[in-house]
Amino acid sequence: MEFKTIKIGKNNNKLTDSIIKDLKTSKDIGVLKCIQCGMCTSVCPASRHSEYDSREISKRVLEEDESLIYDDIIWNCFYCYTCHSVCPVGNSVSEIIQVLRQKAIINEEFEQIVTFLAFGESLLELGIGSIPIEYYSELIEVIGNDYPEFKNKLDEIREELGLGSLNLPDEDVKDIGNILEKTGFKDRLEKIRAYKKSINSEQ
Amino acid sequence: MKKIPDKDILIFKSCLISGEYPGVESSTKYLFDKLGVEYVVEDRQSCCTGLGYYYDLFDQYSTTALAARNFAIAREIGHKNIATMCSTCYAILKKSCNILNENDKVRNKINQIFKDSKLDNLIYSPGDMDSEGNIFHVAEVLWSKKAEIKDLPMIDLSELKIATHHACHYFKVHYKEDSIGNKRNPLLLDDLANACGTETIGWYDHKKTTCGAGFRQRYANLDLSLSVTADKLMSLKENDVDILLHMCPNCQMQFDRYQPVIEKNLNTKFNLAHLNIAQFLALAMGADPYKVVGIQTHTVSPDKVLEKIKQASPVAV
Repeated sequence: MEFKTIKIGKNNNKLTDSIIKDLKTSKDIGVLKCIQCGMCTSVCPASRHSEYDSREISKRVLEEDESLIYDDIIWNCFYCYTCHSVCPVGNSVSEIIQVLRQKAIINEEFEQIVTFLAFGESLLELGIGSIPIEYYSELIEVIGNDYPEFKNKLDEIREELGLGSLNLPDEDVKDIGNILEKTGFKDRLEKIRAYKKSINSEQ
Repeated sequence: MKKIPDKDILIFKSCLISGEYPGVESSTKYLFDKLGVEYVVEDRQSCCTGLGYYYDLFDQYSTTALAARNFAIAREIGHKNIATMCSTCYAILKKSCNILNENDKVRNKINQIFKDSKLDNLIYSPGDMDSEGNIFHVAEVLWSKKAEIKDLPMIDLSELKIATHHACHYFKVHYKEDSIGNKRNPLLLDDLANACGTETIGWYDHKKTTCGAGFRQRYANLDLSLSVTADKLMSLKENDVDILLHMCPNCQMQFDRYQPVIEKNLNTKFNLAHLNIAQFLALAMGADPYKVVGIQTHTVSPDKVLEKIKQASPVAV
């Protein structure tokens, strides 16, 4: 067994530091306080049904194991925050995973998110998100034909229920586009689009 | 005890409620009208980005910028008390609000974007919104009106076996601050069912287990996703539950749309239907199942409730 002492201030805790300081994590996240008790794993749906192990994730983070960013296992988390809600030292594997996945994406690892591109495109086009189009036919296949039938009648049903328009006014969609261009989100989508094109042409 | 407002409320539209279960929105409006809760729904309000955020597509910065925009709209129309119908909207908005209040660097960057886009009306100043004082779940607003609900004429649904599914992003994310009830045994929805004269089964095995949607998992990893949903469904079956009450459209979608699939996979039958708490309360108060509650968009029809409604006429108090 390998032992490692974390020397605070020696800058050899780059991964833990960057997770703790990330905008996605709670400001009081107890990454360094993990005592490997395993409460997280005991309540985790992904740990129950797959090779994923929340406690192991936390351990590898403490070991500064940056290979985690490229390990497919991180994509099994459900983001249910059950680990987050039971951790006795205020750690949150759920939030750790969110940061690790963002690191993967910043490093242009788009394989796992390319199919969710449609959500971003729908938001930019209509101001609301939508089910990934790639999965729509799959949904019909598993759920049955009632599903597309009601979807086709959605506007009619909404009207009967006295509800307003599904989409945002054009002016507001434009504002949202402007904002998301300046936050860098459109750039990100562009990169994912290019990646999608490249894998499609390979096939 | 947190103070839950009953006026100046913006019912915060949710993409999954709008597109999958619009009856949740009309039921919420029906209940708010009955209970004297003053609210508006606003066309310009955008999606919270929540699903995209948890597909890992959205970064925190972009999500927070759109939250700032929605907060500005809520303030501008004098309805800064936000009530969400979706638990992910609830968690996302609270998180963004905290960042905008506490993180000067991010707030300044977002405000600069608004200035550069000639959207100065959207500029956020610290304290413009309060995560605990202005952001609520619709179920919390209803919970604060339990006494009034008890006094309303109600169809007797007490013969039905009811269980509750408290959404993860309501009671597990901001649990330290202000989610109502015990995170070990959440009872918010149980309390609401009790208010209209129906008991719930209370605790059951897997009560706290997630719905299994897992955001990306439902699409990218369907078997893993459905195995989690099946855990909960099997427990509900053992308890002979007729209705599972929800407070999040993503959970409701997971159970309602995929229950028949799981039945096929496991070669079993769940005599169980799914209703959002607002739909359930509206039905109990006599709302039209199709014109108000919108059950025509459900995959599993809540037949047992409909039968009770047919049998009963509203009992005058």
